Amino acid sequence: MKPAVGRSAAGRFNLRHASAAQTADHFLAGIPTLWLAIFFLAPLGFTVVFSFGRSTFGGVALDFTFANYATALSGFYGAAFLRTLVFAATASGLCLLVAFPAAYFIARHTSRFRLLAITLILIPYFSSFLIRVMALTMLMSREGFLEMILNALHLHQGPLDLLDTQTAVFVGIVYAYLPIAVVPLVVVLDRIPKGLTEASRDLGATRWETFLLVTLPLSRPGIASAIMLTAVPMLGEMVIPKLLGGSRGVLMGQALSSQYLQAQNYPLGSAMAVLVLLGVAVIVGLLAWVTKGFAEVGR
Amino acid sequence: MTAERAYRSDWRDHAMDGGLVLWYAAAVIFLFAPIIAAIVYSFNLGVVNKQTAVLTGWTLQWYPAAWHDLSLRRAVSASLVVSFWSALISIVMGTLLGYAIVRHPSPKVRRFLAGFTYMLLIVPESVIGVSLLLFFAVTRFPLNTATLVAGITPMAIAVVALVIRARVLTLDREVEDAAADLGSTRIATLWLVILPQLAPAVAVGGVMAYTFSFDNLVVSAFLTTARINTLPVYLYGSLQYGPSPAVYAAAAAVFLFTMLLLAIAVLVYWGTRRRATA
Repeated sequence: MKPAVGRSAAGRFNLRHASAAQTADHFLAGIPTLWLAIFFLAPLGFTVVFSFGRSTFGGVALDFTFANYATALSGFYGAAFLRTLVFAATASGLCLLVAFPAAYFIARHTSRFRLLAITLILIPYFSSFLIRVMALTMLMSREGFLEMILNALHLHQGPLDLLDTQTAVFVGIVYAYLPIAVVPLVVVLDRIPKGLTEASRDLGATRWETFLLVTLPLSRPGIASAIMLTAVPMLGEMVIPKLLGGSRGVLMGQALSSQYLQAQNYPLGSAMAVLVLLGVAVIVGLLAWVTKGFAEVGR
Repeated sequence: MTAERAYRSDWRDHAMDGGLVLWYAAAVIFLFAPIIAAIVYSFNLGVVNKQTAVLTGWTLQWYPAAWHDLSLRRAVSASLVVSFWSALISIVMGTLLGYAIVRHPSPKVRRFLAGFTYMLLIVPESVIGVSLLLFFAVTRFPLNTATLVAGITPMAIAVVALVIRARVLTLDREVEDAAADLGSTRIATLWLVILPQLAPAVAVGGVMAYTFSFDNLVVSAFLTTARINTLPVYLYGSLQYGPSPAVYAAAAAVFLFTMLLLAIAVLVYWGTRRRATA
């Protein structure tokens, strides 16, 4: 009898202790969650609600109409939405193409050099984004440095008219998103067990074959995160297209911000924002589906 | 080494080796070129008070010019204030969040918080910006420094949380259990046992949050007013009519300052780590 009483008392003590700890855990996790709910989720919720509203003179009537979505998906804005989707897909793909060999190079080195190599990629991130884009504009402009180099290498002749073109926008966007694409790729490439690639070599594959048949398929989760970290923010990109691409080919980011800042048509701007969010959800869902099953294997 | 030789290899392997080195070097040069260009242009004379692509001669005049430019100075000080508060809030919130992502007792909550943190980083800034503008307009909150700070914290919090999360993953869980067994409450454990171990990561995360807040353009563009104008928003606005050549000098000085902060944070990080492992 006695031991049972003792055990139950101890059990009760532990239980109380554990539940107090759990309360503390919930409380501590609750603070940032509450902050983010107010300054992140609530504003997004307002946008969703307003996207169904009607714009009246000098105000908004809350309603339940799909008219804003109809406007946002047709004509000029519909074209901008499609253009944005294609733009994000292309730019993210380009970014991945540039980032992968660099990440592969970094991941193959020993830890001290690897740290240095990845730091070099990340340092530019700590300088002013706008100044970098401005300087990039200078480098790519007429009589700029790029023109000089291309002329010296005989790859190009005469003045370079690169600014205000689609190419300039892609150069700028790859520039801006390259570091963020490299990091997840390095992490995943680094995690691939060395035994697997060695086994492949032992069985007679060349390094190239090993890369294609072992490394590349196993780096799928990294590729997925790299695409997510680049393509999703690109859906709302508004600075680079404006600075490097001139006024041609308006993208969703510019279109929806001008609904807020110039046209003051909040419901239409909200509908566009919700469409972008839907694009975000589709990309995240697709990538989660592609990498299904990797969570258990990895780590 | 000799084992390496035994593998079958062909020309493609060697081409791959050389190609990778070149590719990486090209990527680094590409990333650094605009920064170096900005620094070079901060010493370039330009033509009639405009910066030009062509180098026209060396001068030191833009540094004092940037210092004496009143609107530039006001923008820099507004940026300093905003990013200071944003970094401070993000350190507290991000540390709590990063810790909860790893150690919250419920796996469901952990998964939710981790997903939420990534969401904060990837949702397009223009969408967040317009949503915040709408939010503050509807709730009739006048736009001021506080609303600007609140608006740019979510991203900074996510950055801190990811840094903290990476550090918590390396901590020994049994130390916490030992503290609990010895009668320490959860809060006391967090304050006395975990926080000291997290301090270096907090420093690094804080500097990153500070830098990202300082550099925030898109969300800030929606939340600034005529009275509070941060440096990126000011620069972005001035691009329409050609910025003063002094902006490169200001940017170079800010970059130097950031690098210094980062170097200090990293040195602190390494210093404490070495002591911990020694």
